[in-house]
Amino acid sequence: MAKQNQNTMSRALARRETIAAYLFLLPSLIFFLGFVVIPMVICIFTSLTSSNMNASAASGFVGLANFIRLAGDATFIDALINTFVIVLVSVPTVCAFSLWVSSVIYQMNGPTLSLFRCIFYLPVVTGSVAVTVVWKWMYDNYVGVFNYVLTHVGLIERNINWLGDEKYALWCIILILFTTSVGQPIVLYVSALGNVDQSLVEAAEVDGANSMQVFWKIKWPQMMPTTLYILVITTINSFQCFALIQLLTSGGSGTNTVMYYIYYTAFKLTEQAGHFGYANAMGVVLAIFIGLLSAVQFKLAKEK
Amino acid sequence: MKLRKTLAAVLAAAMLLGLAACGSNPAPSTSTPAPSTSTPAPSTSTPAPAGATEITLWTYPVGNWQFESDVKVLTDAFTAETGIKVNVEYLAYADGDDKVNAAITAKQTPDLILEGPQRLVTNWGVNGHMVDLSDLFDDTDKAEIAPYALNACIAPTGEIYEYPLVMTAHCMAVNLNAFKEAGADQYLDLDTHTWSTEDFFNAVAALDAQYGQTVGAVYCVGQGGDQGTRALVNNLYGGTFVNEDHTGYTWDDPKNIQALQKLHDTMGIAFDASIAGGDEIKLFYQGILKMAFCWNIQQQLNPNSANTGEGLTMHGDEIAFMAFPTDDGNPQLCGGVWGFGIFNNGDQARIDASKQFIKYMCDSAHTADAVRTANFFAVRDTAEGADLTQIWSDQPLMAEYSKLIPMLGEYYEDVPGWAQARNSWWNMLQKIGAGEDIASTVSTYMAEANAAAAG
Repeated sequence: MAKQNQNTMSRALARRETIAAYLFLLPSLIFFLGFVVIPMVICIFTSLTSSNMNASAASGFVGLANFIRLAGDATFIDALINTFVIVLVSVPTVCAFSLWVSSVIYQMNGPTLSLFRCIFYLPVVTGSVAVTVVWKWMYDNYVGVFNYVLTHVGLIERNINWLGDEKYALWCIILILFTTSVGQPIVLYVSALGNVDQSLVEAAEVDGANSMQVFWKIKWPQMMPTTLYILVITTINSFQCFALIQLLTSGGSGTNTVMYYIYYTAFKLTEQAGHFGYANAMGVVLAIFIGLLSAVQFKLAKEK
Repeated sequence: MKLRKTLAAVLAAAMLLGLAACGSNPAPSTSTPAPSTSTPAPSTSTPAPAGATEITLWTYPVGNWQFESDVKVLTDAFTAETGIKVNVEYLAYADGDDKVNAAITAKQTPDLILEGPQRLVTNWGVNGHMVDLSDLFDDTDKAEIAPYALNACIAPTGEIYEYPLVMTAHCMAVNLNAFKEAGADQYLDLDTHTWSTEDFFNAVAALDAQYGQTVGAVYCVGQGGDQGTRALVNNLYGGTFVNEDHTGYTWDDPKNIQALQKLHDTMGIAFDASIAGGDEIKLFYQGILKMAFCWNIQQQLNPNSANTGEGLTMHGDEIAFMAFPTDDGNPQLCGGVWGFGIFNNGDQARIDASKQFIKYMCDSAHTADAVRTANFFAVRDTAEGADLTQIWSDQPLMAEYSKLIPMLGEYYEDVPGWAQARNSWWNMLQKIGAGEDIASTVSTYMAEANAAAAG
């Protein structure tokens, strides 16, 4: 009888704790549903319509017409290619550079390590608009520091239009993206390297492994979850590159990306029939690409 | 446990309340209108007495209508006379369209907006977001308002979506000191403010030889200030931008191709895809560029809005305003018209109050103040008997600048698909600047604009 009472009490306690836990989760859940799940559903639904800003224009269900139109849209294809260039260049370089820097600095003493972490993390915590404006000044065609230095040391005769020339603009943006993206991976890698099991490192060294072998055979596998996280986050950030494009080139000079084209179609091409539906279709395609690439990264990391 | 439960409930309630607050709509005003202190003069065009006591105005940076200190004087005077309070929000050209488009989508538009027909009529009006203001115009008004300005405010279907207040002619400017230094001032006629295409390119050559860097920029990072690049290209050899009946675009006019080719091939002129009109003005003001294609009287009065002296760069160089160069001596300048439009928010009381505001600012004894605040020319000589011809009698520069007004070409920003056409134009200039074949590039982007025009 006493045992039965005890079971009933513990079940009631568990139920109460479960309810309390859900209540604590509720605020986040409301935001997650309201600002992530529901907009996603609306986005998918809208991508199948000819929704637009103007009430005077026809708006209705068009099936997959927006997606078919995307396949033949040269501007979208260009934007997609640019987006992939940004992702394919920026993700490996960010990962490799942050791994290199963190492997160099993680054994430094406290203050020096903190100093380096601060230096690399500063662009991350600085507002993206402020960072972009400073870079814009440096790249400036007429009074930028890059042109000033290059002309004064005699490397170039006439100023280079860094952000206005298709040859340079995308690479200039990738460089800024790189500087603002390496901070977090470096901090994460420093932390991951510090958490590597030292007994395994010592055992390998006793067995005669050199430093490269220790790194790749002992440390690297233990950092794989961190690497996976960094890969996924950097990939998503690179796919969603928008502020830099908007503030620096407005999608011109061969720097149009899918994210910027979505904004442009939704809010600039308001006279175009079904522009909201079309922009949403681009969003769906972008989400599919991000999902696919992230899945591949997960799969590869798991196999390792 | 009880504490946790209570805390969770309070948090959840707070979140729900927050979300509810985010999504709430302002309740329609039910307050009784305050009695007007003055009765509008009887006129067929006088709007009905307003029932709303509060309206909202969004204003683009039209002269000093971008400054709260100046606008508040006008709106306070209006409030004192009518009892209608005016809440003003100041838009920038950089993101103003985004804000308005977002407001239209969310059905949260302001009551009034101050801008030009290319937005109020061609875009928002034609697409059913604006109120037809035809009842505000009686025969006297139609006779008083300059045809150039009035016609720009009328939609192809006859509705009038904008009540014009001011107008000007857009022009270009040169750094006179730099021109003198390079010996290029010989090509300028500062009495008529005109020059020939040949003189223009001779001047560029002289400036390029003197300074060795870009002296004039065909800016094309976006649509900002594109009236300058359009006027430059069209005027050089007499090309056209739209067809005669304003139903399509004619950028592939051989005269335009010739102009684009010449500009592209000229040392000292750069197709600059890193700056827009506003950036060009700044660079010109800083003395870096020696000529600006995005200019008007507002800039001449206060270059770069920097308050450092009328007609002077930041280094004190003298600025001369010029018509765009032509090879036939007949410049066709682009004009700017600015006025008020009313968004159709379905609330008749607020629409009536907004109409009262428009009549107060654009057609009353107070119009002179509204015009002076805009720093442009009035679109009419008289308003309800008040003489507007002497508004700028104390400002000799305005009289000098008025020499450009007769050079206004036809207003063509009423062609359908105008927003798309502007986008296509600067994209086209970027491609030309990048070295792509001019004729085929123009043809491609013109086709894009014409597709939008065809609907």
